[in-house]
Amino acid sequence: MVKYVLPKKVAEIRESIRSMVIRGAGKIARSAVKALMIAAESYRGTDVKDFVSYMDYVANYLITSRPTAVSLPNAVSYVISRLKRAPISSVDEGKELVLKVGSEFIDYSLKAVKIIGELGAKRIENGDVILTHCHSTAAVSVIVTAHKQGKVNKVYVKETRPKYQGLITAKELAKEGIEVIYIPDSAVRYVMKDVDKVVIGADTVAANGAVVNKIGTSVVALVAKEARVRVYVATETYKFSPRTVIGELVPIEVRDPTEVVDEEFIKRNPNVKIYNPSFDVTPPEYIDAIITEKGVIPPHAAILLLESEYGWVLTEYLKVLEETIECDADHLPYP
Amino acid sequence: MCGQRLLKAIGSTEASIELLNYLKSESLRTRNLSELSGTLRRLVPEIMSLRPSSAFLENTLRELLIMLTERKVKDVEEGKECVAKFIDEVINRAKRISNEVAIIGSKRIADEDVILTHSYSTTVINLLLRAKNEGKRIHVYVTESRPGGEGLTTAEILSKNGVPVTLIVDSAVRYVMKDIDKVVVGAEAIAVNGAVVNKVGTSALALVAKEARVRVYVASGTYKFKPETVFGELVRGTIITEPNEVLPPQADDELKKRIKVLAPLFDVTPPEYIDAIITEKGLIAPQAVPVLIREIFSWPPQVPSLDELLKKLGGMYG
Repeated sequence: MVKYVLPKKVAEIRESIRSMVIRGAGKIARSAVKALMIAAESYRGTDVKDFVSYMDYVANYLITSRPTAVSLPNAVSYVISRLKRAPISSVDEGKELVLKVGSEFIDYSLKAVKIIGELGAKRIENGDVILTHCHSTAAVSVIVTAHKQGKVNKVYVKETRPKYQGLITAKELAKEGIEVIYIPDSAVRYVMKDVDKVVIGADTVAANGAVVNKIGTSVVALVAKEARVRVYVATETYKFSPRTVIGELVPIEVRDPTEVVDEEFIKRNPNVKIYNPSFDVTPPEYIDAIITEKGVIPPHAAILLLESEYGWVLTEYLKVLEETIECDADHLPYP
Repeated sequence: MCGQRLLKAIGSTEASIELLNYLKSESLRTRNLSELSGTLRRLVPEIMSLRPSSAFLENTLRELLIMLTERKVKDVEEGKECVAKFIDEVINRAKRISNEVAIIGSKRIADEDVILTHSYSTTVINLLLRAKNEGKRIHVYVTESRPGGEGLTTAEILSKNGVPVTLIVDSAVRYVMKDIDKVVVGAEAIAVNGAVVNKVGTSALALVAKEARVRVYVASGTYKFKPETVFGELVRGTIITEPNEVLPPQADDELKKRIKVLAPLFDVTPPEYIDAIITEKGLIAPQAVPVLIREIFSWPPQVPSLDELLKKLGGMYG
């Protein structure tokens, strides 16, 4: 592949995603699309083919910044696949399309969070005590919308080690005047008997309805199930992973030890391995419903959304698979 | 005195020993019987308030007060000797018992076992090191155990003694559980129904282990059994609500004012999530705790309250 010189801003966005300055699946998606738009605008050539291959290069460059969050490749392919399928005859036309589709996606993404808030708030009842983990814009939207309807009693916010994203959630909820109780992650089972509903976000939803989210989510869901507390996952549909339909696993990012302990501890204890997986997988049977901007669905119906949202991607995957797999008719076990 | 912050950061037996030694040194400074009695009447409730959940502490203090009220102490020298000797004996006994638990428990560890432990427990560390010294090639996963982070100390000690250690955040317990063969944890107190009070997070860990069909062992001397629970008494654990003690340094003052913090230091693991309690008297099912309580405290347990005993002490010695 030709190596293109990319605008500085694009490299900055990629680095911010990688280092988690930009974090949260929705923000990552919107930032990546923004980067595509910046890249398109600053393209200086005149060859349409080269423009498309340049955009493809930028897309790949962005996608490889973080492995787990599917919102990133989904958002990028939302733009790139439309670019590839459109009958464009000039670079200007191509640029215009990327900008139009890009801002369309960003608008859609922002609106989705509001719709999720509205739909999710219907699931919250008067006086509910809610528990949430990590920071999720969609989950916060549900809680804040329900709070504005006067339904929320208080919210337990888990601190979410190692990076303490609970602080961000606590801040956003407290700003709205919601009573926030900050707890260490270990205290989740201790407080669960006091909780009515768990509302969390997602990084990726797999074809079987399993939810990949910040490490610890699966513990929260299990503890909630034990206590018969309902678990709601609030997420935009661009976090559903079409690749999992063809059996692919969601890669779990393992991050740096220094997020967990300081350099000094590592120096003092060179033989202690620090294992810092960033996400875990919550099985669908621990989830009561997934709240998306397209409606509230049971986790096992994830495939319905995947088909309606990403049918074309699936068709493409399967076409590639069919082309690469050779079938040897002589060795079939039946005539 | 020893400082509450420090106490929260160490294991159950160690914290109790530290407090008992403090009681001993304060008692040794008294000059007459009524002063000794006064010191005990002041310090016993104070010490209990620092570690209210510690069954070891409560059992020891009760035993000490029973001894002082049952035998007529003639003068302050005899009283001081009584207290000092008793506390030294109790501490030695606890250490001996911890080793006996380790001997019995290490038999449950097999070669190449991957073990998960939570927080910090001298008994568990003893047990794991013994298994390692018996030639078993174990690997230990340790949770950091917020708030407090005592898991770091556990990881450090095990690693320094040649045990391969992996440290994880508390939230990662379910992620790693499929790689774990056995969970071994300590205890702060054990109730009559076999429920185990231990560092917060233990109960979620035990639930996760049960889900994965991983066995859960609690290593604890019988001195942590809490006979008062036979009469329905609940185990009281310390809860931190002071934001500065829980929130990380990056939390701003504005936020500290706006939110509440709830950090219980202990939680209760129900007996059905525990496969066995390893005591110095042998390995028992949690449901068999009453059998051992009967053996130690008779049945129903003879457990006068500390308040009662302190009142009696005051009546006898002023």
